[in-house]
Amino acid sequence: MKTTPPSAIIIGAGFTGCALAYDLAQRGFAVMVVERGELASGTSGRTHGLLHSGARYCVTDAEAAIECIQENIILRRIAKQCIEYNGGYFVALDDADLGYAPAFFQGVQNCGIPVDEISVKRALEAEPALNPKILTAFQVPDAAFDPLRLAMAFAASARQHGAKFNTFFDVVGFLRDGQGKICGVSAINRHSGKPVDFHADITVNATGAWAGKVAEFAGVTVPVRPTPGVMVAYEKRVTTRVINRLCEPDDGDILLPQRRMAVIGTTSFEVEEADYIPVYPDQVKQMHQRAALLVPELENIKMRGAYMSARPLIGGMMSGRSLSRTFKCYDHQTDEGINGLVTVTGGKATTCRAMAEKTADLVCQKLGWQRVCETAQYPLADYHLYYQANEAAA
Amino acid sequence: MTNQPWQVQIKIQRQRAGEKPYVQAFALEVDPDEYVLDAVERIWAFHDRTLTYRHACHHSTCGACGMRVNGREKLTCITTIRSVTQNGGTIRIDPLRNFPVVSDLVVDMGDFFLRMNKSDFNSVAPDNAARLPYEHPKKLETQTEGEPERLVDCIECGLCISACPAANTDKEYVGPAVLAAIHLMYTQNPSQKLINQADDHSGLWRCHSAYECTEVCPSGVDPAWRIMDMRKTVFKDRVKSIIKPRLPEKKDA
Amino acid sequence: MPNQPDSNNWPRWFDPRSRSLGTFGYILNRVTALGLTLYLMMHLVALGQLARGADAYDGFIALVKNPLFKLGELLVIAAGVIHGLNGIRIALNSFGIGVRRQKSTFITLMLIAVFIIVFFAFKMFSEG
Repeated sequence: MKTTPPSAIIIGAGFTGCALAYDLAQRGFAVMVVERGELASGTSGRTHGLLHSGARYCVTDAEAAIECIQENIILRRIAKQCIEYNGGYFVALDDADLGYAPAFFQGVQNCGIPVDEISVKRALEAEPALNPKILTAFQVPDAAFDPLRLAMAFAASARQHGAKFNTFFDVVGFLRDGQGKICGVSAINRHSGKPVDFHADITVNATGAWAGKVAEFAGVTVPVRPTPGVMVAYEKRVTTRVINRLCEPDDGDILLPQRRMAVIGTTSFEVEEADYIPVYPDQVKQMHQRAALLVPELENIKMRGAYMSARPLIGGMMSGRSLSRTFKCYDHQTDEGINGLVTVTGGKATTCRAMAEKTADLVCQKLGWQRVCETAQYPLADYHLYYQANEAAA
Repeated sequence: MTNQPWQVQIKIQRQRAGEKPYVQAFALEVDPDEYVLDAVERIWAFHDRTLTYRHACHHSTCGACGMRVNGREKLTCITTIRSVTQNGGTIRIDPLRNFPVVSDLVVDMGDFFLRMNKSDFNSVAPDNAARLPYEHPKKLETQTEGEPERLVDCIECGLCISACPAANTDKEYVGPAVLAAIHLMYTQNPSQKLINQADDHSGLWRCHSAYECTEVCPSGVDPAWRIMDMRKTVFKDRVKSIIKPRLPEKKDA
Repeated sequence: MPNQPDSNNWPRWFDPRSRSLGTFGYILNRVTALGLTLYLMMHLVALGQLARGADAYDGFIALVKNPLFKLGELLVIAAGVIHGLNGIRIALNSFGIGVRRQKSTFITLMLIAVFIIVFFAFKMFSEG
């Protein structure tokens, strides 16, 4: 067992990167995060903001659903500062939806998700904006969170354990030692344009939808496909709870409140390149029509913003170290014989802490560092304190 | 949203860390209904990878993408191209004022966030407390179990501080957002600590009633109203302390 | 850096570019305050003439009878009226009164100010 703490570089400061930085830093690692933009400026920042109860996946993907409810409960405890927790409804609008209800009810119970069937009358009393024609409603512990602040809370906690964050540093390649082991990254400081090298015992590629691109620098492949979806924000908070359509996961079936807004989503299609994804007006229109079925009032509410977020979807038949259907963690030593590099991708915002835990377990195992994960036990630091280190430096 | 594309010129203030600022122009084809941030992102993706800017949520909940568009503080993710120029026109983009520029459009929010932290600002509040009191005339009830909660209006974007003429000449001034945060926290949980924080020459009394904060706030916080309402509280507190000094040792004497 | 908070940056108090109505009130109050301060000093100098004998004082009075000085006096009245009325708005606002109507209050008070200034101008210049 090593006695001097190992060091780790994490590429990417999205949810996974920030949560992993916190996890590894808490286990005693000297952590350096390298991110080409601002915190959460890729997929993470642009998420829908739905803290899944898991009910959305309980029929199609029970494993993911179970993971969601477990993490939902943990995040509500440790990241209360950026979650508005009011629960969510699944509502049926037509007979097809009603037909899905038994499978749904069975599914949520199998996955251990607390569920309440509530009368249409009560649902409409609680959420007067709902379509009065709903046929039934189930209540589940969904919630909405603030994306940037969730990432900042993890990053602030990581910083309190000594992690360093280098935002606006673009990774341009990997460093290798004499044996070909990856021992760090070279990057460009985008503020100054100057190149800089970072060294560490292990490097983790936590770049989500960009994981394939970054892995290419090391000559390895990660079968991740950026799979964007459109989200539309409206000028009025029409509901208090998250409203889901009671049906198989589909386009435009989730509406959630956030601050003074309502945000609806989402679609799903694959792209090659995730750096810039245009917002397609036809998708926005389609989304709008679907969501107006849930809350008719939306027809008359002004749109506030529309945006695209590229989910990292894992495809291909690679023999990755499968941790669950929702995310994967690749040890490139076992697959391609490249030592010193681990990739984590896939997953959802709701499960970012679990992804970090599993990845940190793998990293610890690789380096023979025996410390267990404690991130589920303590509340995260106030997200404002992400900047604490700046003050100390000034 | 099926529009004829517009041709616009986007002029951005560029600045490498520690060097002199300069202005660079980009010619772009845009949809007039897309947002300024989309155009900036496209400049980065297809024209110049060295451009730095802050952004995250793209729908006005995170507050990262505050910039000055044609001189005025805007949350660029919800500012349509149509609202700031016309076909063939120019859009000028600058970093926020009153924050240290790190590079290009990136400013350092560090001091501001730490001031927010010191005001005990909590991003989640009971639903009725999160709203502006004048929008919600009902008396504030104490929070009961199961009462809905929500993320509060302030997204800490810094636009108000950038627009404030008083903040422009005093870097000790905590600024409208922080005072609004103190007011919001005070309405939920009154404390002498918050009054003392507000009652300071770099606090409430530095405000000189230009109302720019409320003018530029993209999120309906109305910092100016909150500052004035807080002054009322502080004024009452001062009067009370004259009538009945609150220092315990004076009471004993 | 011109972008940064700096106590030497005060000339920007008077920069109305990309500003809203509230800042016009802010600028007006500063301009009128400086004007009134300047006038106060001039006034003290004028009073000082008294100490230098009757002739000096009469000469001074003759000087201020010319139209240019009258215009100056009108400016003093204008500054006083604007600053006073605007000050009432700011004072009320500071007690939390009428904050949400500050713009319409400002416009109303400034219209009153214009009315008063025109009235005085008419009176001063018509008397000859």
